[in-house]
Amino acid sequence: MLYRTAGQYKTSYEADQALFPVRQDAVLLGIILLFVWVIFPLTASEFTFQTLLIPILIYSLAALGLNILTGYAGQLSLGTAAFMGVGAYACYKMITLMPWMNPIVAILLSGFFSAGVGVMFGIPSLRIKGFYLAIATLAAQFFLVWLFEKWAWLYNYNASGAIQVPNLDIFGLYVSGPQADSIVQYYVVLFIVSLLTWLCINLTRGNLGRTWKATRDMDIAAELIGINLMRSKLTAFAISSYVVGVAGALFVFMWRGAAEPNLFDIPLSFRILFIAIIGGLGSIMGNYLGAILIVGLPVVLNLLPETLGIPISSSMVEHLNIMIVGSLIVFFLIVEPHGLAQLWRLLREKLILWPFPY
Amino acid sequence: MKQFTKLAFAGVLAALTAGAAQAQELYTPNLAYRTGPFAATGIPLMNGQSDYMAMLNARDGGIGGVMVNAEECETGYSTEKGVECYEKTKGKAIVTQPWSTGITLQVLPKTNVDMIPILASGYGFSPMMDGKVFQWAYNTPAGYWDAADMIIQYLEGMESLDGKTIAFLHLDHPFGKEPLPVLEALAEEKGFTLNPIPVGLKEMQNQSAQWLQIRRMRPDYVVMWGWGAMNAGAITEAVKTKFPMENMLGVWWSGHDADLAIVGEAGKGYKSISWSFPNLDAPVMADIKKHVIDAGLSKTDETEMKGVFYSRGIIISAILAEGIRVAQAEYDVAEINAEQLRWGLENINMTEARIEELGLTGMVPPFATSCSNHTGHSGGWMLEWDGEKFVKVSEHLTANVAAYTELAQQNAKDYADANAPWPMAEGCEG
Repeated sequence: MLYRTAGQYKTSYEADQALFPVRQDAVLLGIILLFVWVIFPLTASEFTFQTLLIPILIYSLAALGLNILTGYAGQLSLGTAAFMGVGAYACYKMITLMPWMNPIVAILLSGFFSAGVGVMFGIPSLRIKGFYLAIATLAAQFFLVWLFEKWAWLYNYNASGAIQVPNLDIFGLYVSGPQADSIVQYYVVLFIVSLLTWLCINLTRGNLGRTWKATRDMDIAAELIGINLMRSKLTAFAISSYVVGVAGALFVFMWRGAAEPNLFDIPLSFRILFIAIIGGLGSIMGNYLGAILIVGLPVVLNLLPETLGIPISSSMVEHLNIMIVGSLIVFFLIVEPHGLAQLWRLLREKLILWPFPY
Repeated sequence: MKQFTKLAFAGVLAALTAGAAQAQELYTPNLAYRTGPFAATGIPLMNGQSDYMAMLNARDGGIGGVMVNAEECETGYSTEKGVECYEKTKGKAIVTQPWSTGITLQVLPKTNVDMIPILASGYGFSPMMDGKVFQWAYNTPAGYWDAADMIIQYLEGMESLDGKTIAFLHLDHPFGKEPLPVLEALAEEKGFTLNPIPVGLKEMQNQSAQWLQIRRMRPDYVVMWGWGAMNAGAITEAVKTKFPMENMLGVWWSGHDADLAIVGEAGKGYKSISWSFPNLDAPVMADIKKHVIDAGLSKTDETEMKGVFYSRGIIISAILAEGIRVAQAEYDVAEINAEQLRWGLENINMTEARIEELGLTGMVPPFATSCSNHTGHSGGWMLEWDGEKFVKVSEHLTANVAAYTELAQQNAKDYADANAPWPMAEGCEG
């Protein structure tokens, strides 16, 4: 009923190939955008901004970057966190060397450094693939974290070895550092995440996206029909690392405020990989659904006993939390191994046919 | 749906009654870590902290007639959860206790804006001792630089360090690197060679490479800046490589009974500096036994209660309670706010007599804070493992604070400059 497509005629190829061939999808997106751009920021508390809205957006972006590489181009990577670190450290160095720089520009530029590093570690992908490539990217993970620890220039020779985000302003309005308001940080993150998401949607639908998918599905066949595999793989590495690097810069500058090298270690890589897999590989929307599940759910579960007035100790809540989130992940993967995005896709198809399925 | 409405109604009701109940209380949340990789040390510390507050509530009806709500928020030692907990509790909290260097680093600049004092007893950033710059942060009663100075002093008390070699086995993390500036300065002054040996976070439990290096180096002493699993790893390796235990010394977080209980007799002679001591005969222990343990309000067990970390938890809560009392007396209100507690924490005067009065006899050295001195520099005692428990083996040691005051002020200034605009404490002299 709600998703009836009858009466929506397409009279040109362009209309058929549009981003939202079904009108209801566009309406739904409009509602979501209204919520994230207007309603959430107006109603959210400081706590909601800091523990739900901002981290979910940043994790979604990081997963989006990984998804381009793994979900679209089929190159398995375990080094996501290290590339995030490259973005964060690059941003830190740029800001401290050139304090007059606009922070948003610095964040967007920092992605280029991680793109460069990403391509360097992507070169082995021309010879090896699958698990072997995953191990090569794992080397990136170890090497880069080690570098963040040892190369004192990167953290300006701080005694503690950690980087601290200074107070940064755009035209007198603090956007980063402890003086910044959460709502300002949220809008900066939302702006950058929306921009990159829009870019990635169009990239994956275009020529480049199709070469990636061909490489992913069968590289030999792709090569036979004239796709330059080297170009396809390296662009995937570059764009993926760019997005991941920007996510890393946002992670430290718009949310955490400080970071030690150890932050960019394997657990973070795995976390982002889980978001991408649970959300759905090869789907843009899946990253958002995955991040909501992996980042948002534990926070909500943590608050639940308190709001319901159930008196249990906070360590008990934490243990329960780990068990619940863990079993939910297993449950979702059994019900829908292709991720939450696929679950939504099926639901949507059923809705289009409803109430007369065949 | 009906079920859901009921549930929602119950939730609203609970929130309302909770709102009514919080009318008169001192909310002192603790960002606890009873889960995760460091839980073994977190549990006794948290138990000590909460048992002391529970004892005050049961015995005296709180502090100054107001009950203390020492609620815990579980972080599992993860910085991400720590920030979540900080945001969750900061609304009505009068203090925040972040319990990890990572969380402290992140919360430190925010407390300036949110105006909440941080109580980070014996951890965090050493330049926090400069209260003019770090007006909201307290690492009372002693900081890491004090610890480094006292350890070297203790060694010097036995023999001259000129020409000796000291291996500095430390966690390769902000926490482990913290005492390096002071140790390096001392090495130059006293003429010993300092060999820093970092232990990566991933190698904490397998330190064979580091101990091979130590064996080759043949240092006269090993000074350890370890935490959590690293301590047990180092101590078992030291026993395995037959390093003379009496030449191994640790910071106060490396003196956990459970780590040494693993090696037992073989660990005899191992030392750790400490600003707290488990004096089981102190009156406060009897009060806790009577009002908390026997009343079934505690989560602790018998063996744990005898340990160093449990009593350290008690001391931390006692410092906080003293700060609250001082603030209550000054402002003449029972339900003080965060800003008033800040004043209280920098006007603590724990004299020997006051320590007796609080029933903490022999558990903490006397100290006093001021607006420019947020550490207190209580000094400490050298504790030694006798095969079963830690015993005091030194007189009360005090750090030579004057030697690094300038360095601390310089570092504090650098920090403030890097984080400009940074508010300084105005009208704070001396």
